[in-house]
Formats: sequence, C-alpha cells, structure tokens
Amino acid sequence: MNAAQLSTTIRMHTRPLAWLVAALMAMAVLAMPGRASAHAALVATDPADGAVLAQSPAQFSLTFSEPVSPLVLTLVRPDGSQLALTSFRLNDQTVEIDNPEVLKSGTHVLSWRVVSVDGHPVGGSALFSIGAPSAAPVAGEAVDWTLRAVIWAAKLLLYAGLFLGVGGAVALAWLAKDRRCGQSFVAAALLFGLVAAPVSLGLQGLDGLGAPLARFAAPAVWKTALETSFVWTALVGLIALGLALLSLAGPSGLRKLAASAALLGVGGALAASGHASAAEPQWLTRPLVFLHGTAIAFWAGALAPLGLALRYQPEEAKAFLRRFSRTILPVVAILAASGIVLAIIQVQEPAALINTSYGRLLLLKLGLLLFLFTLAAINRWTLTAPAEAGDTEVQRRLVRSIGIEMLIALAIFGVAAGWRFTPPPRALAIAAAQPVSIHIHTLKAMADLSITPGHAGEVEASMVIMTGDFGPLDAKAVTLVLSKPDSGIEPIKRPATKPGDGTWRVDNLVIPIPGRWNARLDILVSDFEMVNIEAPIDIRADVLIFR
Amino acid sequence: MKKYLLAAGALCVLGTNAALAHITLETQEAPVGSTYKAVLRVPHGCEGKATSAVRVQIPEGVISVKPMPKPGWTLQTKKGKYQKSYQLYGETLTTGVKEVDWSGGNLPDEFYDEFVFRASLAADLPAGQMLYFPVVQECGDATDRWIEIPAAGQDEDALETPAPVIKLLPKK
Repeated sequence: MNAAQLSTTIRMHTRPLAWLVAALMAMAVLAMPGRASAHAALVATDPADGAVLAQSPAQFSLTFSEPVSPLVLTLVRPDGSQLALTSFRLNDQTVEIDNPEVLKSGTHVLSWRVVSVDGHPVGGSALFSIGAPSAAPVAGEAVDWTLRAVIWAAKLLLYAGLFLGVGGAVALAWLAKDRRCGQSFVAAALLFGLVAAPVSLGLQGLDGLGAPLARFAAPAVWKTALETSFVWTALVGLIALGLALLSLAGPSGLRKLAASAALLGVGGALAASGHASAAEPQWLTRPLVFLHGTAIAFWAGALAPLGLALRYQPEEAKAFLRRFSRTILPVVAILAASGIVLAIIQVQEPAALINTSYGRLLLLKLGLLLFLFTLAAINRWTLTAPAEAGDTEVQRRLVRSIGIEMLIALAIFGVAAGWRFTPPPRALAIAAAQPVSIHIHTLKAMADLSITPGHAGEVEASMVIMTGDFGPLDAKAVTLVLSKPDSGIEPIKRPATKPGDGTWRVDNLVIPIPGRWNARLDILVSDFEMVNIEAPIDIRADVLIFR
Repeated sequence: MKKYLLAAGALCVLGTNAALAHITLETQEAPVGSTYKAVLRVPHGCEGKATSAVRVQIPEGVISVKPMPKPGWTLQTKKGKYQKSYQLYGETLTTGVKEVDWSGGNLPDEFYDEFVFRASLAADLPAGQMLYFPVVQECGDATDRWIEIPAAGQDEDALETPAPVIKLLPKK
C-alpha cells in the first residue's frame, strides 16, 4: 500500500465516521434544552374510564391537554389477549381510534402511550365494559419479540465490533509481527460495530418508548434515545471503532497510539451505560466495568488474528504467540477479578442466581467461561511451548482450539447481550421500593397520592391536596380509604396526619394483597362539607415480574 | 402466611361499623312552601361514646328556623346571610339561622334522643328533589360527621355517614 492509497483508505474510513460523530454530537446538543415544558395530560376518554356500554363502540377517542402523537395504542380483551390499534386520526387534541372488531361482552382495557409536544412519552389506560363488567383482564406485559431479537442482535454485533474489532486492532498493532493475517477479519468486525452502534442507539429509543420496530425512524424515538445514557456508549464506541480502523489503515507511527486509545474507548463505552455501570458505588463499578471491557477486548480480540496467523504464517506467528502468552495472564486476572466483584454487587445474594433470570444468565455465562478458561489454560500451558518451538501438529491443534475459544467468546457475548433484558437483582430490589402514584382530578378537588413502596405489604401513603383549579385547599381532615371490592376485604380506612410540610400522610399502612385497589380520599373542606375523590391504583406484588 | 393473617386482621378490624343506624329526620318528606318540624333522631353515640353535642347545618331555602331548647343542653344558633331574599308572611327575609348547635349535654350511647327545630321551607325550593341537613355529632373528642351527600346516580345506601335528608314535595 503506497502513500496515496493509504491516505485514500484513511479518508474513506474516517470521513463518514467523522460525519457520523459530528451528527451524533449535534443531535445530543439539540436534545439538551427544553426540559421544563409540561407533559400532555389525558383530559377525557370515550368510552369514559369505568363506563359500561350496551354495545361495541365503532371508535374510541382520547383527548389530551395538548396535541400529541400516538406511539402505541392497544386494546386488551377480557381474556387478556391484545389487539394493536393501528388506525387512528389526530383531530386537534383528540386522538380518534377506529375499533377494528365487534367487541364481546366483558371488561376491556384501552391502553395508550403517546408523545407530547415536548417529546416526553406519557402512558395510561382506561377500562370500559361491554354489557356488564367482568374481572379486569390481566394485561400480560406484551413482549415485542421481534424488537427484542433485533436489540439483541445489534448488541451482539456491537460487542463483536468493540471486542473482536477493536481488540483485534490492538493485537495487530502491538502483538503481531505480520499484520496482514486477520486484518480483513478485524476490519469486518469494526464495520459491523460501526453499523451496530447507531442502530443500537435507535433501538434503545424504541424500547424506552415501548414503540414497535416500524417506528425506528420517528424523531421522538431518537429524541428519547439521546436522553438515555446509552448515547455515550454509542458515541464513545463509535470513536473507539473509528480509532481502531485508523490504526489498521493509518500510518505506522499512529498505529499503536490509535489502537491503544481505541482499547481505552472500549472500556469507556461499556462503562458509560448499562446495569453494571449504573450500580452503586459508582466509583467502584464504573472503573471495574472499564477494566472488564478492556480486558475482554484485549483477550478476545487477539484470538482471531493469532489463530489466522498460526494457520497461514506459522513462522511469523511464533513471535505473536510468545507476546500474547506473556501478557495474557495479568489480563485474564483483571478480567476475572473485576467480573467477580461486579457479579457480587449485582446479584447481592446467592439465591438470586437461581430465581432471577439475570442470575440464570450469569450462571450460563460462568459455565461458558469455565469451558473457555479450561481451553485457554490447555493452550497456554501445554500447547504454547511446542507451538512456539515449531511443532506443526501442535500448531494445528492450537488453531482449532483458538477457533473454539472464539465461538465460546461469541456465545458469552450473546449471553451478555441477553442481560439487556434482565434487570439485575440489585435493580429489582430498587424497583420494588419505588412508589406508585396517581393523580386524581375532579372539579371540586384534586390530589396526588403516592404509596411507598408501591407493592403489597407495609407501606406509607402521602397525599397533596389542592382545589380543582390548582389552588391551595386547607382541608380540616383527610381520610384515605382503600378498597378492593373483588377481594372480599372490607375497605381500609385511615385518617391522615399533617406533618406540616403541606402533605397529608398515612403511616404504617398495610395493603394485604396486590392488584387494582380503589383509592378514595375523603377531604373535609369545612365542618359540614366533605369532598370525596377516588381513582384506581395498581399495587404491585411483592416480587416484581419484569418485562 | 403473614399476608393471610394481615387480611384476616383487616377483616376483623374493619368489618364492624357498617350496618348501624344513622342520624335521620323523622319526617322524610314535606311540601315546599310549608312549615316543617324537623326531628333529628340520634340513635347512638360515636363508636360507643356518649354524645355531647349535635350541630346541624341549615340548607339554603330553609328559613325562619326556630330550634326547640332541650333541658341539659346549651342551645346556640349561628346566623348569617341567605344567598337570596325570601318572602314570608309579607316580610322580606335576607338573614337567618344557618346552624343550630345543642352542646354541653350527655347522651349515653345506649340511650336515644331527639333534637327538634321548626322552619319554613321556601316556596321556590325545587319540588321532587332531596334537601340535605348535614349534622355533626360530637362525643367529647370523637366526632361523627353525618354530612355525606350522594353523587349524581349514587345509591344513598352506599354512603357510610349520609346526611339526614327530606324529599321536597310539590306545594299543596
């Protein structure tokens, strides 16, 4: 490759990348302002929440406080099956939705998720019944398997780009003697990664909004994506991939520098987002994720160039093999140590290894790792020495073994990509403690009610009471009444106390069972005047079932 | 197991106070434009405690209120402006009693008593509709408020502490 070809290659590889990075940065900057604007609020639904209709309506409508654009509209039938409502019209602030079928009798749930003008997604649901009410259908969280598969595949490709691509570029720059073997493999991995990074970002937006794959190009999706921490993973990942490409094609003086910077970028990209990086304590987890990612890239990335070199250039590969086997032990030690600490932080207690899907994936990954380490140890301590000495039979075995290692490494990446869908036990515990909140709005009064934690068991309720037009309401007394008529449990009625911070509280409340409760607030406005406002509130089960 | 205990406990604690009698008016319908003798019937105290005060709010359109004194009870009225003026026997009334309080008494939970006032139902009250007389019953530091008014379409039996009510009949 002469100088002119070289510079063409650089330009070819770097220019689109530079544009991509610039575009992403511009989008990130554009997404920053405009946080404080109000969200759209549902004003009315037709049929009204709780309505009982004589016959199936021809259409539904949702009226909001400002114009919105619908993302997902679903009708849950009484038997729990779901019907996607795709035919709708926007009429000023009202979304008119066609009902594609004649509804059978029973209670239906109209579930909606829209994006308001400020780009924030808002969701909710309205219950209505045909004929007579039935038990409210359990809207099993619909899993969009197509979207999941695509998210998973994009993540796998991103890992392949970062670990095999960037790691491969590092191995070629620092370890290999002859850099031609494995170069095209590494370049291919890098290109996959360059595609997968922005695609993953968009998918992140889709997932955040719960929108289907068809809406991939919607501006709201990308706006949402740019507000997630994953934008930094994508951005730093792209830079790392670009630097690695530069180290492949660029001038030799830059090679080692670019490859090293790219390797740091891999660690940085992984540390920027994800479950493990989000865990506390941050000063520990982020550096650990960084080390873990860097070590994976160094190890896994070297495998393909090393195997290909041993296969096609056994003589030159000897030096490569020697350098690799000398450096790999501390790298694997870092990899294992950081992995173990992160696993302990995430899983918290051994039982969670079995009874959460996160834990089961971790066990699977550990099993694969055990296999990988065994192979690697055999390679390192029995095959490396004769292979370096020039034993061709052993070299062939080593190549095969490295091939298998690669496949296992890919399988491990696949498992790790699966973690995208399984919150770690740590996060499950945090999520279980989250409150459930509802806003009750009537002409006479309105209230914000929060129940903390939002699951059955011992909870505390906090209420803010206002007049119907957002004015202060100095109530004489407030009583919280929780009822669940379908459970046979008599209403739980508790007077609220006034701690003096403008809220009303009910402490040491016990909600015996999860499900949809009716929360009623009896607000004593004056001696002789009581205002009752009520709304349903969904109390979770103790153990969260996550989508 | 704990959950079931909790549920059972909730049942025991909360399942008691439902079907007890309310404070009601003896005569439950009256024609508009007539004189009405209101007899508030107090069947029990507040969750077992002796009643020490009964206060009734006079709704708009109930004019010229005269409460009946009760031995052992201090009778007070609160006067105020009506929302509009009413004609009664050639006189124009713009103010009058808005609340009647019998206080300082002692009516044990196991005894029954009545609290009486006389009033005129204005002729322009809407016949066919219900007229509510919210009552606050005090028993020392405990209070029962018979002030609930059913929302449109709500069954009055569904209320735990409904306000005493009469049905307005057409003028005779």
